[in-house]
Amino acid sequence: MSVEEQIRSIVANIVHVDESIITRDSTFKDIKADSLDIVQALVAVEEAFDIEIPDEAAQNFQNFGDFVSYVENHVAEKEKA
Amino acid sequence: MPLEGKLALVTGSGRGIGRAIALKLASQGADIIVNFFRHRETAEQTAKDIQAKGVKAEVIRANVGSPAKINEMFDTIASKFGYLDILINNAASGVGRSVLDVDVKAWDWTMDINAKAALLCAQQAAKLMEERGGKMVSVSSLGSFLVLPTYAIVGISKAALETLTRYLAIELAPKGICVNAVAASAVETEALKFYIKEGLVKDTRQATPAGRMIIPEDVANVVAFLCSEEAFMIRGQTIIVDGGTSIAPLSAAGKEES
Repeated sequence: MSVEEQIRSIVANIVHVDESIITRDSTFKDIKADSLDIVQALVAVEEAFDIEIPDEAAQNFQNFGDFVSYVENHVAEKEKA
Repeated sequence: MPLEGKLALVTGSGRGIGRAIALKLASQGADIIVNFFRHRETAEQTAKDIQAKGVKAEVIRANVGSPAKINEMFDTIASKFGYLDILINNAASGVGRSVLDVDVKAWDWTMDINAKAALLCAQQAAKLMEERGGKMVSVSSLGSFLVLPTYAIVGISKAALETLTRYLAIELAPKGICVNAVAASAVETEALKFYIKEGLVKDTRQATPAGRMIIPEDVANVVAFLCSEEAFMIRGQTIIVDGGTSIAPLSAAGKEES
């Protein structure tokens, strides 16, 4: 499973929506995620990939694609290190 | 300095009340473990400000809503220091909803961070205080006994925290550990500004008999006192820091309208 697929699965599971409605352009608002859903999704993704996503970074995510890109970059950095 | 040589863990001390408590204890000579979860930058800034006071600061990231992460944090403290003198249960979170809108997820999230974490941290801290005694102070709020709009789950979690404080105070007394809590009314923090902006909390500046909002340092001063030997005979109490608001609601309301 790719990073994107794993994150989509985590988010869908937390927000209780079908994975198919989450595209790279989707915002949390689009998928009706509330603030608790968002924090829980961030925490779950952090634990799944063993990375840190500070709120300062998360606040800049415009959509699901930004979220995925951030994680992909940090997973790649971690693998290089 | 009264707390020289002491080691204090302040949960959620990157910002707001926790940061003020950490700085206050540091100014009294304590080395500080700054625990944070979501905001690394502010936690590291707090640590720098603590070090500038000439004491040690250690930053530990841990989600206190997770029992496993609490254990990891205390494993780190045990291996790095081997002891702990002061535990401040300050980290808090919550979901602003009316009682009928509370779901299991929101309940668990809030209770895990605000109440269960205090229990688990106290259990772990007690082991590290075993041979030298210690102090534990939890940060509560007036919502534990006042009904505030959309504050239901947080208020309930704070009531649990205060009751936990009483039980811990008695059970840990033979181990030389003093346990108390501090309950503040609305404290001027970033979190409060958010609530006011969202219309969830009124700006109570005019409604406080003492004439101003509570600031984090007001809470920190009382926490520091409870951590001192002068507070030795205070056990299991929740000290209210609210500028008089809770005992004069009518006069406060009158002020607000004028």
